[in-house]
Amino acid sequence: MSVLRAENLCVTARIDGVDVAALDGLSLTLAPGKVLGLVGESGAGKSMLGRAIAQLLPPGFAVTAGMLEFAGRDLVAMAPDQRQNLLGRQIGFIPQEPLSALNPVRSIGSQFAEHLRRLGIADWRSAAIAALESVQLPDLLDRFPHQLSGGMCQRVLIAMAFASKPALVVADEPTTALDVTIQARIVALMRDLQVAQNTAVLFITHDLRLAAQVCDEIAVLYAGRVVEHGPADVVLAQPLHPYTKCLLLAAPAISGPRTALYALPDQMPGLRALAEMSGCRFAPRCPLARDACRESVPALAGDTHKIACPHIAEIDTITVPALAPAMVAATGETLVSVAGLGKVFRGRFGRKPTIAVRDVSFSIAAGEFVGVVGESGSGKSTLARLLMGLEQKTSGEIRLAGQDVGGWGAAARRLRLRTAQMVFQDPQSALNPRRRVGAIVTQALEAAGVGLAERRARAAEILADLGMPLELADRAPSQLSGGQRQRVNIGRALCLVPKLLVADEIVSGLDVSVQAQLLALLARLRAEHGFALLLISHDLAVVRYLCERVMVMRNGEVVEAGRTDEVFANPQHDYTRELLASVPGAA
Amino acid sequence: MLAAFLRRLLAVAPILALVSLLLFGALRLLPIDPAAMSMPPTATKVEIEAARQAMGLDRPVTVQYAIWLGQTLRGDFGNSIHMRRPVAGLLAETLPATIELSLAAMVIAGLLGLGGGLGMFALRDRRGEAVAETVTTLMMSLPEFLWALLLIFVFGVLLSALPFTGRLDPGMTRPVVTQFLLLDTLLVGRVDVFFSAVRHMILPAFALGVAFAPPIMRVLRASLIDTYQEDYIRQARLRGVGETRILLGHALQNAILPTLTLMGVQFGFLFGGSLLVEVIYSYPGMGNLMVDAVRNADLPIIQAVGLTYCVVVLAITAGVDGLVMLLNPRLRGT
Amino acid sequence: MPRWLRDTRVIVGLSILFAVLVLALLAPLLVQSAPDEQDLLSTLLPSAWAKGGDVAHRLGTDSLGRDVLARLLYGTRLALSVAAIAAPGAMILGTIAALLAGYFGGWVDWVIGRAVDVWMSFPPVILSLILMVGLGTGSRNVILAIVLVDWTRFCRVLRAEVLVVVRRDYVTAARLVGFSHLRVVLREVLPAVVPLLVTLLTLEMGIAVVVEAILAFVGLGVKPDEIAWGQMIADGRATIYQAPINLLAPVAAIFVTVAGFNLLGDGLRRTLDLRLVEGRG
Repeated sequence: MSVLRAENLCVTARIDGVDVAALDGLSLTLAPGKVLGLVGESGAGKSMLGRAIAQLLPPGFAVTAGMLEFAGRDLVAMAPDQRQNLLGRQIGFIPQEPLSALNPVRSIGSQFAEHLRRLGIADWRSAAIAALESVQLPDLLDRFPHQLSGGMCQRVLIAMAFASKPALVVADEPTTALDVTIQARIVALMRDLQVAQNTAVLFITHDLRLAAQVCDEIAVLYAGRVVEHGPADVVLAQPLHPYTKCLLLAAPAISGPRTALYALPDQMPGLRALAEMSGCRFAPRCPLARDACRESVPALAGDTHKIACPHIAEIDTITVPALAPAMVAATGETLVSVAGLGKVFRGRFGRKPTIAVRDVSFSIAAGEFVGVVGESGSGKSTLARLLMGLEQKTSGEIRLAGQDVGGWGAAARRLRLRTAQMVFQDPQSALNPRRRVGAIVTQALEAAGVGLAERRARAAEILADLGMPLELADRAPSQLSGGQRQRVNIGRALCLVPKLLVADEIVSGLDVSVQAQLLALLARLRAEHGFALLLISHDLAVVRYLCERVMVMRNGEVVEAGRTDEVFANPQHDYTRELLASVPGAA
Repeated sequence: MLAAFLRRLLAVAPILALVSLLLFGALRLLPIDPAAMSMPPTATKVEIEAARQAMGLDRPVTVQYAIWLGQTLRGDFGNSIHMRRPVAGLLAETLPATIELSLAAMVIAGLLGLGGGLGMFALRDRRGEAVAETVTTLMMSLPEFLWALLLIFVFGVLLSALPFTGRLDPGMTRPVVTQFLLLDTLLVGRVDVFFSAVRHMILPAFALGVAFAPPIMRVLRASLIDTYQEDYIRQARLRGVGETRILLGHALQNAILPTLTLMGVQFGFLFGGSLLVEVIYSYPGMGNLMVDAVRNADLPIIQAVGLTYCVVVLAITAGVDGLVMLLNPRLRGT
Repeated sequence: MPRWLRDTRVIVGLSILFAVLVLALLAPLLVQSAPDEQDLLSTLLPSAWAKGGDVAHRLGTDSLGRDVLARLLYGTRLALSVAAIAAPGAMILGTIAALLAGYFGGWVDWVIGRAVDVWMSFPPVILSLILMVGLGTGSRNVILAIVLVDWTRFCRVLRAEVLVVVRRDYVTAARLVGFSHLRVVLREVLPAVVPLLVTLLTLEMGIAVVVEAILAFVGLGVKPDEIAWGQMIADGRATIYQAPINLLAPVAAIFVTVAGFNLLGDGLRRTLDLRLVEGRG
């Protein structure tokens, strides 16, 4: 008997009086001991299944049709106390944000005790220590969540989820908030426990390559519908639905030949837009779509590999051109030169000082794209802030266009203003919600006292550069999509045509298809304006795609630097090798 | 942990020094000659000048402050100009009364505030919510001195149910052991006097307590609502933890922290608000002493009583901060 | 219609305040007798509808034979003027301190933070009494005392909010595109805290009405020839058995006015607080 079975499951949201199916006719089965990956971009409805299992749907959402069974028992019709009985005993959950999923005022031990006592384990302490051992953690029962790292918290939560030997574990983006090397360890641990206990796992993720690595089967979700479902290796190697194929081609690869990225237009329709759609929900963005696609909903057809598209014969027409090997610029004059740069944050309240950056030296030539990769705490963001004068250096030297800009002075500020601009990570935080788009992208002119008419003209130019329609100039950031916001964020930095852009994690948190659009935009703008770029990123594939040179940072130090193709093909430092090996889909 | 709390206590010292400086400075600006006022009206100029010298008033202001501070630290607050008695003695008589009243009011405010906050939280997303919110808004529009007057009118005048002047029925003599009346009556075994004192405290304590309860209700409700949005609450639900346990074992422990911090501030305000309630109920505490002193420009009393209020407020906030530190592992240091 | 104008609380609060304002402005038209006109032959008259009442004195007279309604209406003028001047004064002082502390941080923040600590260690009633001793009575000094006591209410709450705003990247970005500190504070930081400021201002006006009444009640507020609700309460307390209306009328007036400000403030907080709205979105 299957552990989990959904048959034509519909989860409906009521939006402005209209019912919209957030999950539309989902059918799948999960056998004992198997791992099923539910893959989709944000808004695909991939978290709805997990929430429907616990019947903890967001307000306004409800299961309206179909059925959802756990081990033959109807989860929807079940009485709440019976369902609560299953939760934590036979069904475990692993959350997305481990740091906030543990109660901050209770010790790990007390939270374990609560859980294990409920399971009827009298000697909870030794059981808890055994559970922690199973995730390779020492006895930290007396510690509090804030004393642990995100990876440790996630391992604690995994230990708790598997402590009851559940039949089913739902893991909702369990590694998204974690660094890539920790992600690799967490995923391996989960797999080990799952195999040892023969647990079925529903693995929800946005990362198709990670899913392929972890799962037995993959179901790809688009706008609430499964568009492709099959064995993991088959789906990854031979995707037959145009969406799956485009998604794979939109994500830059960590190895193999460099290719262009497939830039799907627009983004997944939101729930509101779904209400007015008929036919295939992918049709408006699909390169294979024809009129008939917009009329009837394609059924999910096939034996072991099911595809909801009648045009699979043409799938091979979706291709991307190969790219020439990364050009080696560095022929232009030196734009940035940094020597022996160090930054120490003074310890407050008697804490030890932290060395954020130590003895970093590098240079960037005009027009060159340089990537800085590293995990959280490696000092890569501090490096960017030092360069932009947002932090005061402790030691070393920073020169922009040959002149020293190490100090706080007005002269350094003016020089930096002419030469360098920064693009921030999170457009939600980087765009003033009370300003209009046009005013944001021309803020630098406003600072210089340029008149309104001239500013409006420049705003139109910038929006055209960003590939955004002019009428968006009068919108507020809250009225834009995530991708558009990040464009505006880039546009503001481009206003004075800087020679250097410093970009901190500008595509992290964006969906793959939107990320591909932005990377294409950066490549095009580079060709038009010839600026240099210092790209801070935790995503090695993005750096490989965009940058000629790369620096690998760890604990404030540059451990390896060189031409991107050489570093990726033949890493010298152990840490670089570990980093590369941890990326899902690494050969 | 202990070190952190001691550091918190140490932080009080410079604040107190500044407070004393401010008190001293503000009142020294007055066009009042403390020497002349401390002497009988018949005193000659020579006598007054002698008093000035004895009080150090002919010396520079900084020296005067040093003298005053030194005396204050030794517990010598000088003599009341108007009552011609040592201020320290007056404080010893009135401070315990004010503390008794404020403590009773704090218990009432705490019970009403926490109970009301839980009640309002239980009403969330229900029809009663808007009503409960409007009621707290209206309650916040009645400050302690209006509550005091209204309670007198209803329970004292209309219903004649409770006494509303002084601390004891006329004719009763108060036993003095510790100056804390409720404690003393029990210590000497005068239950009748004890009950009279309790009856006299009901209205003022309730007026003071109920006036400071609504903000506590609101903060507890708001932080409970915030806490319920947190991931760990959802994770606990997903682990099958029941709703009662979620409230008592997870949500309340977190939501109480901001509530306690606010209660510290509220109790400081409440302690100050006792002044008005004492005046209205002719309650022989520090507030009445202060108001009389203010009317008579009795500087030594104003300075000493002002300082005492500050010391108690700082003690309350430091105590509450300590409690929050105890309950919040993130503040305990690693 | 803006969102905040559709909130019931805002509408009710504004209506109350508008009515109170009209009553204050039209006071000379609504009552014949002057508020300080004594008539020792008709003291402690009951209200007009009670037995022995006089239509000329609709709420009766006090122990000096002054018309209670007239005093109530003229007292409204004082209460509203104090609220209208003292609350913005406290707001300006507190906002400047909060912006300096929150934006610049470091030692500026430390100094302002300690000043707030010192102020907060005085219960507000005690501090205003001490200030009134130093300043002397009079409505101008009442206003000054309220400003000097209550700036910390604004400073404390706003500073926390400014800290949140300053951590937003758009504030850093404004500096990077060349905005001066002053311009960043005025164009990027201040607008973000205006909704909170308006809410606090409304609540502070209610507090100012109460403090004015308290000081007048204790006898340290306005000069004896000015008409204040607090004085009426002090007078009415003495005659609580004979003429309770003398006490209850000003109590009710204070309650209604403060409730108007509080309802308005609550409604504004609910509808203007952008952080809450963003959080829900």
